[in-house]
Parts: sequence; C-alpha cells; structure tokens
Amino acid sequence: MRNFKGLALAALLTTVSTAALAQDPLDIAFTVHSGSSNTFWQAVQKGYEDACAKLGATCQMVYVQTDGSVQEQVANMEAALARGPDALITSIVDNAAFDDVIQRARDAGVIVIAANVDDLEGAAGNARQAFIGQGFVPAGYSLGQAQSANFPAEGPIRVLVGVSAPGQNWSEQRALGVMNFMDDFIAANPDRDIAYERIDSGTDLAVVSDRIGAYLSVHPDTTAYFDTGFWHAGVARVLADRGVAPGVVLLGGFDLVPEVLEQMKAGYVQVQVDQQPYMQGFMPVMEIYLAKTVGLAPSNIDTGQGIVTPDMVDAIMELSAMGLR
Amino acid sequence: MRRLLKLALQKPEMAATLLLVLLVIFFQIRSDMVFLTYDNLRGMLGFLPEVGLVAVGVTLLMICGEFDLSVGSVFALMPMTMAVMMTMGWGFWPATGLGLLVCAFVGFLNGWITIKFAIPSFITTLGMLFMARSMTVVISGGFPPRLNMDNIPEHLFVSYVGPGDLFRASFVWFVVISILISLLLSKTNFGNWVRATGGYLPAAEALGIPANKVKIACFMICSVLSGLAGLMQVLRLGSPLPSIGEGLELQAVAAAVIGGTALAGGIGSIIGGIIGAVLIRVIDNGMVMSQVDSNWFKFAVGALTILAVVGNSWLRKRGRAMKVETER
Repeated sequence: MRNFKGLALAALLTTVSTAALAQDPLDIAFTVHSGSSNTFWQAVQKGYEDACAKLGATCQMVYVQTDGSVQEQVANMEAALARGPDALITSIVDNAAFDDVIQRARDAGVIVIAANVDDLEGAAGNARQAFIGQGFVPAGYSLGQAQSANFPAEGPIRVLVGVSAPGQNWSEQRALGVMNFMDDFIAANPDRDIAYERIDSGTDLAVVSDRIGAYLSVHPDTTAYFDTGFWHAGVARVLADRGVAPGVVLLGGFDLVPEVLEQMKAGYVQVQVDQQPYMQGFMPVMEIYLAKTVGLAPSNIDTGQGIVTPDMVDAIMELSAMGLR
Repeated sequence: MRRLLKLALQKPEMAATLLLVLLVIFFQIRSDMVFLTYDNLRGMLGFLPEVGLVAVGVTLLMICGEFDLSVGSVFALMPMTMAVMMTMGWGFWPATGLGLLVCAFVGFLNGWITIKFAIPSFITTLGMLFMARSMTVVISGGFPPRLNMDNIPEHLFVSYVGPGDLFRASFVWFVVISILISLLLSKTNFGNWVRATGGYLPAAEALGIPANKVKIACFMICSVLSGLAGLMQVLRLGSPLPSIGEGLELQAVAAAVIGGTALAGGIGSIIGGIIGAVLIRVIDNGMVMSQVDSNWFKFAVGALTILAVVGNSWLRKRGRAMKVETER
C-alpha cells in the first residue's frame, strides 16, 4: 500500500511538473554588442522573435546604447540574469570580459549559447555551451578566394582590406581570413607583384566612402577592396560618381543588406558572404527548447560561409527586404 | 598694419585657419601631391556640406550658450521619416516637409524642456539623442525602406552642379545657408540677442532680450539643419540607414570648439565652425592619403583637436597683449 502511495505521488508530481513545463513559457534573454540601429541585427532579432513566437517563449533582445561597448553588454547580461531566465544567448566579442558572468549564469543553471561572435578560443574560452554563427576567419578566407577568381590574370595586384572595427573579434578575424588568403595567393604566385594592406575603414557609410575614396585617389591601381562589413556599398557609390566602370575596382564583403544587393545588381560588388543572421537568432531558441524539454545538449552550428554572387541577387532581394536574409 | 594683425589674432577662428592651411600643405606633400587632386577634393566636398551644416547649427547654439547632443540622431530621424512616409505613398515634398517639422519639434522640445525645468541642455539633449535614435529604428521597423530615386528631385540636392562637376548641389545649399546664418548672427538684432544671451544671461534678460525665445529658436534651427544634412547624406548615398550620424554630435561640438567657439557661449563665429568641420575632414582624409598606420587615426584626430584649441587660446592671448597706438 505504501509503495502504491509512493508511486501515485511520483506520478502526480511528474504530471504536475510536465503540465507546469507545458504552461510556463521559456524565459530567454539575448544580449548583443550592437546598437539597435544596425540593420544586420534586426534580421537576427526577427529570427529570434519568430522562434520565440513559435514556442510561446518570453523573449527579450537587449542592445547596447554605444555600438561595440563591452562593459554595457556585460551590464545588460547581469541585469538579464538577475531576472532568473531559463537561458541566455549572447555574442562574445571579447575573450575575457564575459567569462565571469557566463560562468555565474551556468552555475545558476542558466543555459548559455553564444551567437554571432564567439571567444577566439572557442569552447575553451569560457563556459558557454555552444556557438551558433559564422566562423569568421574561414569566412574571410572564402571571401578572398571567391573574389580572386575576378583578379586580372596578369600584372600587379593591390588589395585593400578595410577593418571596420579595429580591435573587435568579428572584424579583426574576418580581415585576418582575407589576409591569410592573400598570403597564400602571394605564395602561389611568386612571380607576380602582389601587395595588400589594411585600413581602419569605419562603420559609417559616409566615412567609409570618404576614407576609401581617399585611398583610391592615392592608389588608382587598386585591384580590390574587401570590407569586413557591408560598408563597401558606399565605396560603390564613390566609384560610380568618379565614372569608374563596375569591375575595375573589385568590391566584396559580408552580409546581405539591401544596399549591398543593389550594388551587386549594378555590378560594383562581385562577391558577398552571407552568414544568415535570421538563423543566428532562430536556432539558439530551438536548441534551448530541446535542452529544456528533451535534455539535448546544445551544439555548434556554422551558419554559413555562403558566397553570394550577382546572379543570385534577384532571388535574395525580396527576402532581404523582409529581414529574412 | 600692427592694428590689423592684432585684430586678426583675436579672431576666434584664426588658429584653426592657420592649422588648416598648414595641414593641407603637409598632407599635400605627404601624399605625393595627390591630396588636392580633383577626385579627392570632389569626394571631400561631397561629404563636407553634411557635417558642415550640422556644425553651423551647433556653433550657433553654442554661441547662444547651449549644447545639442541630439544632432546625430536627428540627422538619421529626418530622412527616415521622409523615407517611411514615401513608402506610404506620400510625395517627396510633403514627406520632406514632415521630416523637417519633426526636426523643428525635436528642437523645440530640447529648448522648452531645458528652459522650463532649468536643466542643462547637455542633459536634455543627451536624453533626446537616445529617444530620437530609438524613434528612427522604431518607425523603420529596423529595416530601412528602399528609396525610389525616380520620385526624388536629386538634382536639387546631390547632383553635380559646380565647375567640372566639382561641387554637388548640397554644397550650394551649404554655402547659402551658412551665409544666411552668418548674416543673421552679425547683421540682425536676433544675432545680437544670441551673443548677449550666450555671453551673460542675466544682463541680456535685464536688457529686455527675450532670451528664452532666442534659445528655443536656436535649438530649432540647429535641429532643422541637422535633419537637412541627414537628408542630403541619404540622397547622396541612396540609403536611409538608421545608424547614420552616430557620433556626429561630438564631431560637431569639436568643430565648433576648434573653430574658436567658447564652450561657455557668447563667443564664436559660423565661419569658425565651418573651418573646424573642414579641419576634421581634412585630418581624417589626410591620414588615409599619407598612409598613416590606421591604429593611429583616432590619436591623430584627438591630438590635432587639442592643438587647434591650444593654438587658438595662445593666439588670442598674444593678440590681446599686443600694444597698438591709438589715434588722437
């Protein structure tokens, strides 16, 4: 009889807890290093909110007021954790600043998933459970490799790499990937005069246009410009203003914002890498759901080093305008 | 001659002008004589009206004794308002008119809150910086609307109009507006009121100057000029990104101060603010031209800013100390 009562109680608890899990919505916070005015992050947010809506989860996306401010992001993480969420999704743009707060979150039983940007040491860098985003160095390498198909077959080559945010992991690593490729390209073509250099290009269309425009004035023989973001769309305008035909200075970069797609259609941008921001917002929520309900361990997802070329633009443009690509 | 020199040295914009000339010569030499080439000048002159108009507005307001840190956000809010309204079927002119009205309202709010609650405009406009930026993102839904350039009279704003296509129409707007604001400041009662209000407020009020109205008018002019500048940038680049203009407020304040505007108000000139804005653009552009290591960019801009202000202070002291004979 006593065993029967015990079994009945266990069954009741199980039923109640299952019902509670079914009724209590997941509480998730997503902290990022960007300000809300960055178009790219709106696509991440859309993916995040769509996923949350599908699960009926309570979700909040928290931006910083000063773009790239690590201390603001850490403060936002602290505030989000004080509310006792089920999970925390965060970009990790610094290799040390987030370690402590992530460890405390894990100690408190909060699932922590890195999205978009990871610690340079990966899983060894801190206690986050998975990374969902682009491998920046390989992506930079892929960009360089894809654009090199458009390099002239003969003669000297001069390449400029625009580091949009010097010192920030995402920008430095993408630039490093491009420069790694250039090193390999130089090694593979020992008889050719090939040079590359980097520049602090900035994250404002007007500033990038002005700086790269100035560089092109000094070096009209520039073969290609690589931007670690999407701000080379402004450079395309400079080239058009100067009457430089599409393809004379090759342009390539990252992320499919509408401005870049228009310049791809115009022929000024030849290659773009898509890291699928919608997926970076959507998939962490799904992994959290699976971890909470089925106990599956969160795992890494590479959201892509997809090379996009002008022939693919029409199909993508509509999705991009809707914030899905 | 000595009298003229004394007057020149006491001009608030003198140090910045000298530094500008020296830097242009320096960058021209460092860049193997490419700095002043047609293409580069054309690029700089395309960008200048946008930062210049903001600097003009901020300079006017600082002479009046107030700050506006929301100009960078208003710079983005105005064209976004216009773009969103155009996607809703409005024509270019009504949409632009509404955008400018929004700017004027933001300026009015900045002034009214500052005066009504007697709080520093630094705080009021810092709050407005965040609010206006947030509004920009909210009304766009995060995704910038596409501008249909066929419905926009580009030729009135950004098409090349100058000799040899050196200038854009925006440069003409910039020059005309700058002259008008300069005349407003130097030739009208309103200009005297602005200087008096910024110079010593109690005395201005004792003289019967409507200081509160003067301040609110300056806030509104500053906001409208920022919005107009934002419109010109968006039409030039073809893209109403919600992030444009971030950090512009500090550049504009720096331009005004470099150009000799006193932080405490009362002293300064529109031409000084313009020279300050040109100086900042020349430094940024010249750094690229002279192939300075990119990691030193911000250091150089900061150091040259301090140099300009220190030089300004030194020259004015020298000017004041210079003795001239007075006519009997």
